[in-house]
Amino acid sequence: MTTAAGAEPARRAASVGAGSELRRAMGLRTTVSTSTGLAFAALEYLAAAGLVTYVAGDSAWIAIGVAGLLALLAWGFFGELNGMFPTAAAIRLYMQRAMDDRMALSITFTYMTTIILVIAADAFIVGTALAHALGEPGWVAAVWIAALLAVAVASNLRGVQVAGGLQDVATYTVLAATCVVGIAALVRSHQPLHFPLEPLHGHGVGSFVEAVALGVFLFSAFEWVTTNAEEVRRPHHVHRGMLIAIGILFLVCSLATMAMSHVLDHHQLGSAYPQLDLGRAAFGHVGLWAMAAVTAVTALNTFNGGFITASRFVYGTARQGSLPPLLARLNTRAVPWVPVVALGALSLVVALVVSVTHSWQVLVAVGAALEAMIYAVAAFCTLRLRSREPDRHRPFRVRAVKLLGAAGVAVFGALAIVASVTVGDRTNFVPLVVIVIAGALSALYVVKVVPGLQAAEAARRAATPRRRPPRPPAPGP
Amino acid sequence: MADRQEIAEAYSQWRATSNANQRLRKMVRGWDRVIHFRTTDTQEGFTMSVHDQLLSELVFGLEGQPDVIVTGTSEDFCDMFWGDLNPSEKYMSGEITLAGSQQDVMRIDAISMVAFLDR
Repeated sequence: MTTAAGAEPARRAASVGAGSELRRAMGLRTTVSTSTGLAFAALEYLAAAGLVTYVAGDSAWIAIGVAGLLALLAWGFFGELNGMFPTAAAIRLYMQRAMDDRMALSITFTYMTTIILVIAADAFIVGTALAHALGEPGWVAAVWIAALLAVAVASNLRGVQVAGGLQDVATYTVLAATCVVGIAALVRSHQPLHFPLEPLHGHGVGSFVEAVALGVFLFSAFEWVTTNAEEVRRPHHVHRGMLIAIGILFLVCSLATMAMSHVLDHHQLGSAYPQLDLGRAAFGHVGLWAMAAVTAVTALNTFNGGFITASRFVYGTARQGSLPPLLARLNTRAVPWVPVVALGALSLVVALVVSVTHSWQVLVAVGAALEAMIYAVAAFCTLRLRSREPDRHRPFRVRAVKLLGAAGVAVFGALAIVASVTVGDRTNFVPLVVIVIAGALSALYVVKVVPGLQAAEAARRAATPRRRPPRPPAPGP
Repeated sequence: MADRQEIAEAYSQWRATSNANQRLRKMVRGWDRVIHFRTTDTQEGFTMSVHDQLLSELVFGLEGQPDVIVTGTSEDFCDMFWGDLNPSEKYMSGEITLAGSQQDVMRIDAISMVAFLDR
């Protein structure tokens, strides 16, 4: 090895251009499991059961298929944007280049609330499922919720991260178990499918559209894997992994939804643990326990991915000067402890509110609307950057982007509106109110507080003398 | 553009500051890593490593298999090593790019931030 003191010109970084591979890089298998695992949260079972209320149950797969096609559209946009900005900070980069930075920051903060909602929802569902499986009274679920979130926060503060191999095992086990239970429940019901090709049987077109809106939510968060773009072995693994994940999600969600519609009654479909009843229908008490375990394992991915993604984003934004410096404090394990604790506390509050009010369907609706909104934003950014930065390298390009981009903005925008005013099968404006409040608070913060933070940071820098010594003047001619 | 001498001088100062910082040493306990720096303007490569809570000397050229690859301009690296530049800001604006796990990326930012906190 040649040190700086004894540098050899001959060794002048001849290998700079050679792509040295990272020692620990994510392969395609882990990219797929990350993408699928982030989407397949515990909330997935409740959303799948909820979807059955909109379409003739056996044909729910058609609504999920249409939603899958829309997810493919979103995949195209995220694939192109990720190729242009292969970094965990991509969402900030492409949004600030495509629109006004204040607007971009407001949307990003609003979108970040989805992570809180998903973590809260998973804590609520796992806590409720465990309390139900153990035959405990309802209030015990709140204790489980607090315990789960406390463990998640403590693990994050200690810098514990689920290793790629363990994540693969966890995700593929959850998917395989759901498929086995779904197939077994269908077979053991000894009844043929009723309306496998008639989604509108007994329902209107409007209900089908609502089913598709909810179906999009089944795929949502598959794109969060783009935040791992810096650790993949090959850059194309990200968009290829997302594509495979969409296919897997379609199969597993369709199977679970059809099985639920086939063997569960209306009351069970509306409960907070339809997957446990599905497990019981397939394998009796063993099935119920198996699905309780599977539900708990889904939280592993959600808590791992959600906490890391959100806390690191908040840390980066605070370091950039758009959030208070307090949020950039690190503990001795280099973990931004304030965002982690705040995320855990906020998730706990939301989960307990949901637990008391039994309003988990509102969470589903808010999550679905926010995801559809961010897909519309991704479509807009893809379209806008084609004209603003036409020469930027794009390893992956959406074809017919003018047509598909405009279609993406319109369709996902419409789905966001539909999802934000529907809870269960009824019109309900609570999700819209939640989103408007979150959006307004974000915008208010960006307009009123961020300029002050940035000015303070600029003043601090101006007052700090440069440590780097000035260059000696170049010798004259 | 910063030349090799400037980068070596800046790194040497960064290294001394970091290795003398007890909090930082605690922060990199058990975090033995190889880091490659690549400059986009001068097309050079440098290697540093962290071993037993200490930053190594800077090596010209890309040595070993990296855990993290940091890419930026020679000026940005020089400013970062002197503690005049906030790498997070450059990262969030896309001017510095990284390859590696999020945890490893955080540690590098932690080194650059904590090393100069008390100065």
